[in-house]
Amino acid sequence: MTKPLYIHGSGCVSIQPTFEPGYLFETIQSYAQNPVPALDPDYKTFIPAMQLRRMNKSMRMAIFASKQALQQANITAVDAVITGSGLGCLRDSERFVENLRADEGQSLNPTPFIQSTHNMAAAALALTLDCKGYNMTYVNNANSFESALLDTMIYLMEHPSATVLLGGVDELGERTTQFWNIAGYLKKDAVIPTALGEDTTAGEVAAEGTAFFVASHQPGAHPLGKILAVETRVETDNPEAFIRDFLQRNGLDTTEVDAVILGENGDGRYDNIYRTVGSSLFANIPQIGFKHVLGEYDTVVSTALFVAFEILRQQRIPQSLLLNGLTSRTLQRIVIYTQRRGTNHSVILVER
Amino acid sequence: MSELTQELKAKIITQLNLEDLTVEDLEDTTPLFGDGLGLDSIDALELIVMLDKSYGIKLSDPKEGRKVFETVQTMADFIEANRK
Amino acid sequence: MIHPIPIAVTGMGALSAIGCGVAENFQSLVLSQHGIAPIRRLDTHHQGRLLAGEILIENDELYDRLGIPPSEAYTRSTLLALLAAREALDTAGIDPRYSGLRTGLISATTVGGMDATERYYDDYLVSDKHWSFIPTHPCGYAAEQLARQLGISHFVTTISTACSSAANAIMLGARMIRAGQLDRVVVGGTDCLSQFTINGFNSLMIYSDGHCLPFDDRRNGLNLGEAAAYLVLESAELARQRSKTPLAYLTGYGNANDAFHQTASSDNGEGAYLAMKQALEVAGLRTADIDYINAHGTATPNNDLAEGSALLRIFGSSGTLPAFSSTKAFTGHTLAAAGAIEAVYSVLALQHQVVFPNLNFSEPIAGLGIAPQTSLRTKKINHVLSNSFGFGGNCSTLLFSIAHD
Repeated sequence: MTKPLYIHGSGCVSIQPTFEPGYLFETIQSYAQNPVPALDPDYKTFIPAMQLRRMNKSMRMAIFASKQALQQANITAVDAVITGSGLGCLRDSERFVENLRADEGQSLNPTPFIQSTHNMAAAALALTLDCKGYNMTYVNNANSFESALLDTMIYLMEHPSATVLLGGVDELGERTTQFWNIAGYLKKDAVIPTALGEDTTAGEVAAEGTAFFVASHQPGAHPLGKILAVETRVETDNPEAFIRDFLQRNGLDTTEVDAVILGENGDGRYDNIYRTVGSSLFANIPQIGFKHVLGEYDTVVSTALFVAFEILRQQRIPQSLLLNGLTSRTLQRIVIYTQRRGTNHSVILVER
Repeated sequence: MSELTQELKAKIITQLNLEDLTVEDLEDTTPLFGDGLGLDSIDALELIVMLDKSYGIKLSDPKEGRKVFETVQTMADFIEANRK
Repeated sequence: MIHPIPIAVTGMGALSAIGCGVAENFQSLVLSQHGIAPIRRLDTHHQGRLLAGEILIENDELYDRLGIPPSEAYTRSTLLALLAAREALDTAGIDPRYSGLRTGLISATTVGGMDATERYYDDYLVSDKHWSFIPTHPCGYAAEQLARQLGISHFVTTISTACSSAANAIMLGARMIRAGQLDRVVVGGTDCLSQFTINGFNSLMIYSDGHCLPFDDRRNGLNLGEAAAYLVLESAELARQRSKTPLAYLTGYGNANDAFHQTASSDNGEGAYLAMKQALEVAGLRTADIDYINAHGTATPNNDLAEGSALLRIFGSSGTLPAFSSTKAFTGHTLAAAGAIEAVYSVLALQHQVVFPNLNFSEPIAGLGIAPQTSLRTKKINHVLSNSFGFGGNCSTLLFSIAHD
């Protein structure tokens, strides 16, 4: 991938008030629960009531964040919509399963079935924006958003003058959360901000949210930043080598990175992966976290990208996100590295 | 309005998530589909489920629904004629 | 103009109601032996009443055939996928673990692990017997298990766009090779039958109470089916280097959105029209070059009208419309696998120079005046279009071309 992706607008809905203009984690909302639902903006700002009535949370969040991104980019139409979601429209899936277990053979309400289709957020965006172009949804665990990003890069190479709406979204489900608890995924006595460091307990703080971006090959007047490359690996014994090789393939070494965003989430079983990466590759630069205030879900890396662009734009790192107390004279180039439960490693390179 | 049309309006509003609408707002003869309330084919299916669950009337062909669901009044008339 | 890298199909694998393996599927198509019958394997209230294209192999037997220990949690869709993907790699003569090349897996599914989730939904809360299945619910989990089994580690992803999913997976595979991201890729999709999907389509009142009648005026809905199918794609040059004759070439592809309604297609099939148009453009072909269209043809009142209208718009008139057929009356609508199983059938059409029949047809759709091919027909076939259209207006078309010896 030689040509960078310029980002012209972004929008983010999460468990923090990220949808408020100018918010950059100055104040962090605390929670003492697990899971943590995303804060709801006033969806009616962007979505008429007759459409909103049927929309599940994924669709609402995605449309809201997309409209914010489009507004910031000063456009009303795009050529393609490319999205990622680890679990799709979970609540409607659960609702339909519950209905059919209670009532199979009787008349079943079709709405939850329709809404449960994994690509419904992308479909809702196509309808809202009257976009008849390329429309894709990746449902690939904690690499769903990265697949959407990779596709966006390929799409723009094929269509150099196009504009793409790119995003990730995931929502919580009540029964599914109970299953996660049984499977040992969830942290007990969880709080946000999550304690990070050597002695954290096992488990994640489950959350939900979305981030959407307007991307093209044109620099435009006020781009938020550029995405240069992305790579994923389902499994790797050597995340440091994975990251180092990735940088090398992009003509860089670790000394040329100004800050790193790490997906440390307080899960005592896997956070050592981040600490090792941090200390062996990025010991002398600011290390930034995001999951300790935004929680964990498959596409939360899209919000890391949102954070990266805000940092590049404002040229400062919020104290609440800084993990190692270091500063940098320049903030030009940021690497984002994340994994979840020891798999789905990904690395993204962004620049001012 | 009759008890049945009253009841129907309340059910329609709940079933179809028409949160901003009240029973008083919805007239007996307002077209429910197209220009009027602006319901769509998914709403029609939901109304078919409602007819079955609340009034025991099964419509086997979704096209039948088009005439039955024209207005609250046509729905009420159909239910009166066919309910078990 | 830069000439894009020719994409060769060098292997394929398929499992459906009409056969285990590509050869069995072909036999059934040629003999007009469909696999649609009253549901008997899946535990559902609709057993014996609704018709579906079931693969009459129990999960236990799938485990045996694959040599997977019964203690490991594999959902049905993944088991089917593994059989099909292994066949694809075998026919391509490839072992990804030893090739030294950048091999990817792009899979597709809508059901994911839902067949287990719906079965154990309440059980998980009261007994630990099936807890090993909890992680299998997400769509992406199947691809990861598949990749591990097949020895693919370089790149793995999953597409889920309803009924166009596998076509999109195949398309992405070709695009990634052309973009220089991968050398070789296993692409396709899988969906098993589930209570979720059967009841879902039934609640939409588009599940026929009899055999589906694609493109027939009397059609009243689909029959579901289960299937898994995968292709191996690589550059023509790579195939040439190892003296592997391609089965066919993937020369065109397109994806567009109807942007009309969440589930219904626009009357004039705008999304379908745009997708087909794109596929032709990518291939650098004209409508007159197409010899056969494997239609989406689900036999729902809405799809066949919209698709039929789009076909007429693009090909001009019923007089200039090439031979077309829907094979869904053989296999049922296999949802996320449809694009892949029908890609296999498109390649078979090219290899054997035959158009497969559209079963159960007698009356053309009023107002369209188009009739599909109803019997097996031998003809010169150089280029085949394959359509797959899904909920959310997601319309995809693939274009396969003949590999000359």
